[in-house]
Amino acid sequence: MTDTDTRPESPPPGGTGRRTDVVAALFRFQSLFGLVAVFVVAVVFSPHHNGEILFLGSDNLFNVVRAVSEIGIMAVGMTFVILVGGIDLSVGAVLGLAAVGSAVLMVEDDFGVFAAVAIVLAIGLGFGFLQGIATALFGIQAFIVTLAGMQIARGLARIWSGGQGVAIAYGDGPDEAPVAFSLLGERTFNGLVPIPALIFAVVAVVAIVFLRSSAFARHVYAIGGNEKAARLSGVPVTRVKVIVFCVAGFLAALAGIVHAGQLNQGSPNDGFGYELDAIAAVVIGGTSLMGGRGSVTGTVAGALLLGVLNNFLGLHGVDPNVQLLVKGLVIVVAAGLQRLRPAA
Amino acid sequence: MDDGVSPLVEMIGISKSYGGVRACRDIDFTVRAGEVHALLGENGAGKSTLMRVLSGDVADHDGHIVVAGRPVRFTAPVDAQRAGIAMIHQELDLVPGLSVAENIFLGRELRTRVGAVDRRRTNALTRDLLTRCGIALDPRRPVGELRTGEQQLVAIAKALSLDAKVLIMDEPTSALSSAEVEQTFTVIAELRRAGAGIVYISHRMDEIGRIADRATVLRNGAVVAGFDAGELTAGNAAETVAEAMVGRPVQAMFRTRAVEPGEEVLRVTDLVLRPRRERPGRREPDGISVTVRRGEIVGIGGLLGSGRTEFLETLFGAGTRGTLGGTIELRGRRVAPRSPRQALALGMALVPEDRRVAGLAIDHSVLANTVLSIVDRIAAAGVVPRARETGAVRRIVAELKVKLNSVEDAVGTLSGGNQQKVVFGRMLLTEPALLLLDEPTRGVDVGAKAEIYALLGRAAEQGIGVLLASSELAELVGVCDRVVVLSSGRSVRELDTRHAGEADLLAASMGEGSTAQAVDSGLDSGVDMAVAADLGGEA
Repeated sequence: MTDTDTRPESPPPGGTGRRTDVVAALFRFQSLFGLVAVFVVAVVFSPHHNGEILFLGSDNLFNVVRAVSEIGIMAVGMTFVILVGGIDLSVGAVLGLAAVGSAVLMVEDDFGVFAAVAIVLAIGLGFGFLQGIATALFGIQAFIVTLAGMQIARGLARIWSGGQGVAIAYGDGPDEAPVAFSLLGERTFNGLVPIPALIFAVVAVVAIVFLRSSAFARHVYAIGGNEKAARLSGVPVTRVKVIVFCVAGFLAALAGIVHAGQLNQGSPNDGFGYELDAIAAVVIGGTSLMGGRGSVTGTVAGALLLGVLNNFLGLHGVDPNVQLLVKGLVIVVAAGLQRLRPAA
Repeated sequence: MDDGVSPLVEMIGISKSYGGVRACRDIDFTVRAGEVHALLGENGAGKSTLMRVLSGDVADHDGHIVVAGRPVRFTAPVDAQRAGIAMIHQELDLVPGLSVAENIFLGRELRTRVGAVDRRRTNALTRDLLTRCGIALDPRRPVGELRTGEQQLVAIAKALSLDAKVLIMDEPTSALSSAEVEQTFTVIAELRRAGAGIVYISHRMDEIGRIADRATVLRNGAVVAGFDAGELTAGNAAETVAEAMVGRPVQAMFRTRAVEPGEEVLRVTDLVLRPRRERPGRREPDGISVTVRRGEIVGIGGLLGSGRTEFLETLFGAGTRGTLGGTIELRGRRVAPRSPRQALALGMALVPEDRRVAGLAIDHSVLANTVLSIVDRIAAAGVVPRARETGAVRRIVAELKVKLNSVEDAVGTLSGGNQQKVVFGRMLLTEPALLLLDEPTRGVDVGAKAEIYALLGRAAEQGIGVLLASSELAELVGVCDRVVVLSSGRSVRELDTRHAGEADLLAASMGEGSTAQAVDSGLDSGVDMAVAADLGGEA
């Protein structure tokens, strides 16, 4: 017999009361509420200039999105990995590798934009693939595999770049990148929407739709919920896990390309510690580190929340070191709220 | 029966509601020194809630608890422990990596003068304690190396070392071999002699008759009957108790064989698995031959450790990796599934042994759990059509009579029997030709058991071949057409259940010629009360 005795044979109609319904709803949209709360605080306490609320300026708002786009893109991939109960510590280093790769391929090796981007994305994908094989097929813990992967990617980036940042100048000459690549630093829709923000939005929407309706997503959630049961139910566990790590590597590389485009350089030290911000965004977004529950919607909200927080603190000229403290506290509070979440 | 001595524990008028559901209604329950008090009832009857109240796990209840004449109020399990009440959980609270002695002294380690852990004294005290309980175990062995039964004895010893006067045991024998059951009973007898009070929760009527001094039956959260030792050992005890539990006369549980078996679905010949790496504690197939025809239910019997589970897992591509010898023919085609996915695609389906460990993502919805095995079959271009999936799940859930509000409910909110039906439903949706079942009725109550048997019967009628592994002799004899008996990973006998009974099955499991002795030692003969009642009715 199990502990099911205490459970009603069939729950009373209408759930267990309106109050718990409200609580459940609150938790369901926890990250969104957090985002709204931080947003409101940012508006109310925003510095003013000529009677205008600086925080709400469209420039500023889109800056927020632009600033979080790299972390956001990575965090989407991280969400997939965490949903199967894994973790990917290598994404920050892969971002660095991709940034270096973009710069070196275009500036030093005279590749065109598409070729360079395709190669870099393939590298990210391949890197994720190898990590997926190591953890899913050989059963080494994801934490260990990607910790090693982080070192390896960082090392590759240093070797490839010769240990130096590679600046990207635009033009048609040798040692210049095609002008098209500078698009990543620009804005579209009347100079309003930064391209990186647009890329983030597309990635997020595709991921959200995909996780809602695809058979693959069912497999992802099932593996996180109970891997053994998933395997016995015919879920191709190894394959799904490998694909998930491929997604994470691919999106980390995409973030690296965006990074290179925004900063006009690729440095082997780029993306240092980004993996932790990505994990933070996922956790604040309500995805369980145990796997099996969570959503990309939450992750997007989590990333934006971190962005708004950074922006707000930045507008007030808060010491960056203090900003770190605040960010840390927000993560702890978000994780603490998880523990209060009523069991579904 | 009251001898004037105040009972160890008195629970008076205990009530507890969850939401709108009353799990316990005005229950009186006492435990006296030196008695084994059996607590019976179907899943959902309120046994667990009542015991959680007694062990301090549920604090906000109505009613009173009196311990040794003094009223108490428990707000946490530690309060109950201090009052001398300990619960031995089904999932034992032991740390596998620590030794027996370390587990028993966990959290109150003995120290030497310099502050280091005093291993010698810990081991010596543990050895004394174990000897007093009649448990023969080396205190230095890691708990993870012990068998389930031995771990349970360690848990009991630990409770006693905490000065427990009242022990609550929740289905202590459900996962034990017959020898281990005997050992547990010996220890219980020892404890009773020493004046402890024991609350014993079980589904097995034969056990209750053997060790209980009285029994209380709960139904729908209320006490409906009480029995004393004399009544429990009477000839018709099983029937009477089962009726009290279910609230109506217990009908025949087992199917009547309605279908003539059709052509062969499965033929296994001399199946052998040579594992790439030996896994401790597993008995891989070492020469198993079985055939199953359409509409036939074939049992896999044998003692604990005879390799029943390993056989089913190997067939299903879920076993230990290694080289297969012998042949598996499915519908006339030679197959060798290398993964459950392949096995499912070939038309096999498996309902695994432990639904919480291997069957369900417990906090996911009924929908997600049920549809899992067919999501990629019904998906169009990778997208799961919502209407089709809810349609399929609603249909199967209705067909299996799963009790739920909505298919969006978390499967963990269902009762054990209904959870099991969800696993069943998932497998039936794959429209298998061969259904493999491993202990499908373990941990489900009498009513759900009957429903699961009926379900098996219907599956067989639809032409599915069924292979049923079970440790319950009555189940094998009652449900199956034939039973293949395994011993040490080999198929040693095949019995036709039209002619053979439980005793024959038992004899075959043990090796020939020792039936009486085997029955005497209570060998896994888990005659469930309703089962026994049923057999009694036929006799």
